Amino acid sequence: MLPSLGAVCLSLFSLFSAIRARSSTGDSVLVLLQPNLSRDNFTIFFDNLEKQGYDLTFRAPKAETPRIIEDDVPGFNHIILFAPDSKNFAQDVTPQSLVTALNAGTNLIVALSPKQTPIFTLASEFSLILPPPGTPLISHFPARDTPPGVIPVSVPPVHPFLTPNTPPIWFSGIPFAHGNNPLLVPILHAPAESFASDTDSDASADVVFDYAERGGEGLWAGSSLGIVTGFQTRDSARITWVGGLELFSDEYANKPLPSGDKSGNAQFARDVAAWTFHEKLVLRIDSTTHHLVNETEPREHYTINENIAFEAHISRYDPESGWAPYSGLHDLQVDFTMLDPHIRTALLPVSDEPGLYRASFRLPDRHGVFKFVLDYRRRGWTSLQSSTTVPVVPPRHDGYPRFLSAAWPYYTGAISTSVGFLLFATLWLAGDDKGVKKGKSAKTE
Amino acid sequence: MAGPKSSSSTPKHAPSTKPALSSQSSVALQSLWSAYHDATPSRLKFIDSFLVFLILSGVIQFVYCVLVTSFPFNAFLAGFASTVGQFVLTASLRSQVNSVNRALFKDVSPERAFADFVVGSVVLHFFVFNFLG
Repeated sequence: MLPSLGAVCLSLFSLFSAIRARSSTGDSVLVLLQPNLSRDNFTIFFDNLEKQGYDLTFRAPKAETPRIIEDDVPGFNHIILFAPDSKNFAQDVTPQSLVTALNAGTNLIVALSPKQTPIFTLASEFSLILPPPGTPLISHFPARDTPPGVIPVSVPPVHPFLTPNTPPIWFSGIPFAHGNNPLLVPILHAPAESFASDTDSDASADVVFDYAERGGEGLWAGSSLGIVTGFQTRDSARITWVGGLELFSDEYANKPLPSGDKSGNAQFARDVAAWTFHEKLVLRIDSTTHHLVNETEPREHYTINENIAFEAHISRYDPESGWAPYSGLHDLQVDFTMLDPHIRTALLPVSDEPGLYRASFRLPDRHGVFKFVLDYRRRGWTSLQSSTTVPVVPPRHDGYPRFLSAAWPYYTGAISTSVGFLLFATLWLAGDDKGVKKGKSAKTE
Repeated sequence: MAGPKSSSSTPKHAPSTKPALSSQSSVALQSLWSAYHDATPSRLKFIDSFLVFLILSGVIQFVYCVLVTSFPFNAFLAGFASTVGQFVLTASLRSQVNSVNRALFKDVSPERAFADFVVGSVVLHFFVFNFLG
C-alpha cells in the first residue's frame, strides 16, 4: 500500500534530514480550505502541525489537483476538510471517495457547520444524527459578553488522550446525537445547559419550551449531544467530526475565557489532531509465537492434552520515541478455536519482560486444526487482530499409556492363571506317578 | 467303585419323620465331603484344588467387571477367558487321567493327556496375553 510505503520513504528521508516522523502512519497532510478562509486564520493550528513534522499541502475544494486518490491509491496519509460551507467540490472529493480513502488508511478531520452540504450525508453514515439545517448550538450560560452561539465548553479533566486539565475551549457550530455504534469515540460533549435552535434571540424560546414540555421529543439539548466526535473504522483508520470550524481558528485560541484565563483551543486542537493522525493510542502486535511449555521453539504440530504456551509481543507508538514495547494491557484474551472457541483465556503480561504477554493452558481433548485468535478492540485504541493456525494430532500408536490402571485385576487374573498352570505342571511332573500306572503299587503320598 | 455311591445313600434312611432341613443338608454335605476326601486319589485332589483356584479367579474378575467398570473390555475378556479356558483344559485332563474312566480313554495314556493339556494351555496363554493389551 502506498501510504505505508510513503511512510517508510518519508521516515527514511526524515532520518537523513533529522526531522522526527510524528505519526505512525505517515506525515503528508492535505488541507482542503474553503475559499473564503485562508491559512492566516489558522496559523496557530497549522504552524503547530508543521513544527511537529507534518507536511501540509493546501488546496481549494474546487481545485482539481492534488487529488485525494490518484490511480486507486491514496495520495496523502491524512486529510483535513475545513470546507463546511462549500457546496461545490471537485470531482475527486465526494462522500464515496472520502470513504474509499478512509478504507485505504487515510485519517480525516472533517468540520461541519449549520449549513447543509453534501458532507452532511456522510456524517449519518458514521451513526451521527445531525440536527436540522440552520440550528446551531446555543447556550445562555455562563454569563459572558459573547453572542449565545459562541460557547465556552469545559474539557473533561480525565480523558484517554486529551491533555489533563486543559482549560475550557471556545466553540461555535452544531451538535450531533450519537447513534448506537461501538466504533464511535465521543471526544467532547455539549454543555448540559446548551441546546440547538434556529436563532439565538428569545423569539424561539417558546418553541424550545414546547419541545421540552413534550417530553424531549424534537428537543436538541443537553450533554448527551456531542460536538467533537471521533470514529475508528475496523481497520483502525480514524475520522473526527467537529461541529464547528472556529474551534481551530486563531481568534478562538487567543480569546480569553469569561474567567479571564487563556482558552484551551490550541492545546485541544493539537490533541484532537494527535489522536486522529495516529500518534496516540496506537498499538500493534510485533509477533506471536507458540511452543510447548518447557521448550522455546514452535512445533509443526502438537498432540492432544499437551501443555502449551502462547506468547505475543505488543508495542505502542510514542510520538517522541517511536514504537516501544507496552505491557499496560490488562484485559487481553486469546481464543483457541476450531469453529468454536474451545479455550478462551487471559493473555497476561509477563512481569520482567516489557511487551511480552503469555498464556499457558492444556490442549483440549479434540484433535483438528485450531487457531490462536487474538482480537482486541477497545474504544479509541487501534484494534489488534492476529490468527495463527496450529494442527493438533491424536497420539501416535505408541503415545498411549501402556498399562491401564483400571485393568489391573484382569492383568493379575491372567498372570496368576499362567503362573498357576506352570506351578501345576511342575508339581505334576515332580510328583510321582501314583495311580497313573495301572497295577503298580508305588509309595503312598 | 461302589464306595462313593453307597456312602452317599446312607444318610437318607437314618433320620426319623420330620428332621430340620438345615441339619439334614449339613449332614449331607459333611458325608459328601468325607466320602470325597476318602475316595479320591491325591493326584485328582491336586487337580481339583487348581480348578477351585481358577473358579475363584474367574469369579473375582467377573464381579469386578460388573460392579466397578468393564472399561478395558478386552482385558476383561482376556482374563476371564484365561480362567475359563484353563478350567476346561484342566477338567478334561482330570477326566482323562482318572483311573475310573480308563475304559473310555483306551488310546489316550495319561502322559499323552498331560502333553495335550500342556500344549493346549500354552496356546491359550499365547492368545490371552495377546488379547490382554
